[in-house]
Amino acid sequence: MDTLKIYFRLIILSIKCRTQYRADFITGILNIITLNAVQLGFIGILVNRFTNINKWTIWDMLFLYSLWMLGHSIFAIFFWHLLDMENYIVQGTFDQFFIKPVNIFVQFIGRELQYMGIGDLLIGVVGISIAYVNLKLDWSILKWAFFIVSVVSGSIIEIALMWICASISFWMLRSSTTFAIISQLDSMIQKYPIDIFGTGFRVFITAFIPVAFINYYPSLILLNKTNILDKWSFLAYISPIVSIILLIVATKIWTIGLKLYSSSGN
Amino acid sequence: MICVEHLTKEYKRFVHKNGAFSSFRNLFNREFEIVKAVDDISFDINNGEMVGFIGPNGAGKSTSIKMLTGILTPTYGKVVIDSINPHKERKLNAKQIGVVFGQKTQLWWDLPVIESLRLLRDIYKVSDIRFKNNMLLFNDMLELYKFQDTPVRQLSLGQRMRADLAAALLHDPKVLFLDEPTIGLDVITKERLRQFIKEINANNNVTVLLTTHDMSDIEKLCSRMIIINYGRIVYDGSVEQIRMQYGKSRILCIEFEDNVPNIKIPYCTLLKSEGKKLWIEFDKNEISSSKIITQMTENYQITDLTIQEPEIEEIVRSIFQDINTNPNGGM
Amino acid sequence: MKIFWSFSRQAFYNMVMYRFDFWVRRIVLLFVMYGVYCLWNILYTQNAKELEVNLNQIITYGILGVALQASLITAMGPQRYIASQIRMGSIDTDLVKPIDFHLHMLARNFGETAFRFITATIPTLIIGFIFLGFELPCDLFNGFAFAFSIALGYLIQFSLNFILGILAIVSVDIKNISWAYISLVSFFSGDMIPLWLFPTALRSIAEIMPFKCIFYIPISIYIGNFSRIMVIKEVLFQLIWCIVLLLLGRIFWICAYSRIKIQGG
Repeated sequence: MDTLKIYFRLIILSIKCRTQYRADFITGILNIITLNAVQLGFIGILVNRFTNINKWTIWDMLFLYSLWMLGHSIFAIFFWHLLDMENYIVQGTFDQFFIKPVNIFVQFIGRELQYMGIGDLLIGVVGISIAYVNLKLDWSILKWAFFIVSVVSGSIIEIALMWICASISFWMLRSSTTFAIISQLDSMIQKYPIDIFGTGFRVFITAFIPVAFINYYPSLILLNKTNILDKWSFLAYISPIVSIILLIVATKIWTIGLKLYSSSGN
Repeated sequence: MICVEHLTKEYKRFVHKNGAFSSFRNLFNREFEIVKAVDDISFDINNGEMVGFIGPNGAGKSTSIKMLTGILTPTYGKVVIDSINPHKERKLNAKQIGVVFGQKTQLWWDLPVIESLRLLRDIYKVSDIRFKNNMLLFNDMLELYKFQDTPVRQLSLGQRMRADLAAALLHDPKVLFLDEPTIGLDVITKERLRQFIKEINANNNVTVLLTTHDMSDIEKLCSRMIIINYGRIVYDGSVEQIRMQYGKSRILCIEFEDNVPNIKIPYCTLLKSEGKKLWIEFDKNEISSSKIITQMTENYQITDLTIQEPEIEEIVRSIFQDINTNPNGGM
Repeated sequence: MKIFWSFSRQAFYNMVMYRFDFWVRRIVLLFVMYGVYCLWNILYTQNAKELEVNLNQIITYGILGVALQASLITAMGPQRYIASQIRMGSIDTDLVKPIDFHLHMLARNFGETAFRFITATIPTLIIGFIFLGFELPCDLFNGFAFAFSIALGYLIQFSLNFILGILAIVSVDIKNISWAYISLVSFFSGDMIPLWLFPTALRSIAEIMPFKCIFYIPISIYIGNFSRIMVIKEVLFQLIWCIVLLLLGRIFWICAYSRIKIQGG
C-alpha cells in the first residue's frame, strides 16, 4: 500500500512537470489525434470502396478500433515509459532504483507519464460513442459491465506484452525496436478483424502472442457477432483470464530480468 | 559496520570476431570470455570511519561499490552492512545507506530540488522534525536555499552535487557511499564539499566510503585508504603509513646567496638548478635532512631552505608500477 | 566520395551490431506482408471490380509496399539522427566536421537504407514471390522505370526528412509533430492503399503532393498500372519534386547554418 502511495506521489509530480508547458501539451495531443485519424482514414477509404471488410461495416470497424484505443490509452499514458528502459540501462541510470527502499518497477514507471496518450483516449471515447449510436447498440447492464472489463483486460494485455518487451533489455540492448515492431504488428491486427486472416495466423495471435484478445474477441460479444467463432465462441469470454495470465508471466520475467541485471551488470 | 569477505565478481564478456564478413558472422554466433572485475577482496570498516578507495580506471572500484549498495550480486564472497546483506535485503539496506554517484544524479530532472527532496522524505518516511533539521543543516553548510527552487536540469555541476549530497543524507543514513563525488568540480566547490563530508562524518558519526581519482580528496578527508588494482586490494592502511613506507625520498630546495656551487653529497641526486636555487632529491633513510643542511650551511651562504614531501600521487603511481611489473606483489 | 562511402559503411556496420532486434524485425515484416495479402484477398473476393486491377497486381502492390517500407522508413530518416544528436548535445560535432552536412546526412541515411534493402526488402520479396504470388515486373521498360522511380522516391523521402531535421536544428520541437508527420506522409504516399482507391476529392489533393512519389508512383509503374505515357509523365513529376526538395533542403540548411554561426547554436 505504501508503494501505491509513493506511486501516486510520483505521478502527480510528473503531471506537475508536464503541465508547465501548455502549448506542448496541446500539440502533443493533436499529434496523436492526427495519427489515429489517419489510421481511421485508411479504414474509411477501404470501407467506402468495398462497403464492408468481411461483413464488418464502417461502424463495426470504428468500434473495433475505438475499443482498442480505450485500453491502449491506459498503456500509453501510464506505461509508455517502458520504452525508455533500455536508455536507463545503457546510461547506468537504472542503478539508482536499487538504492531506494521502494519497488524498482514502481519507481521506474512513476518517473514519467506520457500525456500524449490522452489523444488516444479521446479518439477511443468519441469513436465508441459514434459507433454505439450508429450501430443502435442497446446494452444491458451485463454488457456494459463486460465492456468495462474488456477495456481493462485489453489494456492489461498490452501493458503485459510491452512489459515483457521492456524486460528484454535485461538480456539484450536495443529492445526499443522490439516495441516498434510489436506496435506495427499490433496496429495491423488491432485495426482489422482477424477473421480475414488464415487459420494458422489466427491461432498464433490467439495462443502465442494473444493480441487478438485485446479488442477482437471482446468486440464479438459486444457487437453480437459471436456466430463467427462457431464452436470456439468461448474464446470471446476469456480475455480477462488471458490478461491475468499474461500479467503473471510478465512479472515473473521482470523478476528474472532484475536478477540477471544484478548478476551481470552492464 | 561493513564486513567484506572474499568478495569476487566475474563477468562474461563477448569476444568480437575480426576478419572478413566478421559483422555477418557475429550475427549468427558469439564467443565469450570470463573477466574478474573484483578478485577476492576482504576488508572491515568500523562505525564512523572514513575510507578512501583509489585505483585506476577499470580497477574494480565502482563494481565494489555496486556490490556494497545492493546493485550487483557478488559471484563469490560475503558482504554485510550492519548485519544486513545488501543484495538479499535490498529495501532494508536501502534505508540505512545513502549513495551519491558522481556522474549521474538521482534527482528528478525537471523538478525543483526541493520537490525531489520532499519526495525522498516521503519515500524514506523521514519525520517532519528530522526533515526540518536536516534542511537547516543543508542550507547552512551547502547553501541549498540559493538554488532549491531551481529545476535540477538548470543547475551547475557544483550545485547538483550539493543537491545530490543533501538527497543522500536526508534520511540520516548510517553509511554514505560516494562514487567519484568531486569529479569535474572546481577547487572551491571541492573544498566546500570536503568540509561538509568531514563534518557529517565527525558530528553525525556517518561511516563514509568514497571512491576517487583525486588524491587530494583522500589526503584531506581519509585517515585510511584502500588501493585497488586489477580487482585486488593492493594496499589497505593509513595514509600516513603509505607515506612512511613508500615515501622514502624527500626533495630539498636550497636558495644560495651567491651562485649555485658545484656540490657532491652522498645519497643525493641533483634534480635541477634555476638561478640561485637548487633542488636535491635524497633518500631519507640513508641520510637525514639535518645532515645535508648542516653540510650546506657550513660551507655556503644560504638564504632559504624548504623540504618537500613526495606527493601521494607519486607514491601511488610507483606502487602501481611495482605491481605492474610484479603482479603477485602487494601487501 | 570516399568519405561518403565510409559513412555509409559505418551506418551499415552499426546496424549489424544488434542481432535480436535484427531477426525480430525481419520476422514481423513477414507477418505484416501476410496480413496485407489476406486483406486484399478478402476485398478482391468481395468486389473485384472496385479494385480496378487484377488480384495479382493488387497483391504485388501490397507486398511491394510492405517490403519497400522496410527500407524507406520515414520515421528513421535524418531528422531522427539530428534530433537525438541535439538531445545529447553532440550536434556540434556534426556541424563542425569538414564535410558537407547535407551530403553527410545523405550518406548516413543511404547506408542504413541500403542495409535494410538488402537484408529486409529483398528477402521479404523473395518469400512473397515463392509463397504469396508476388510478381516480377511485366516488361523491361517498367522494370527499369521502376528502378529509376524508386531512386527518385528515396531522394524525395530523404529530402522531406532532411528539411524536418533542419527545423529541429533551429529549435523547432519536432517531437510533438512526429507521429502526425509520419502518418500523413504514409497516407498520401500510397504505401498501403493505392491512390486510385481514394475518394475523388482526396485523390485530387494527393495527386499534386510530393508524397505519392515515394511509393505510389514507383509501385504503380512496377505493377504495370500506368501506360507508357503515364509512366513518363509521373516520373517527370517525381524529377521535378526531387530537384525542388533537394534545393529546398539545401537552402534551408544554408539559412540554418548561418543562423547558428551568428547565434552560437
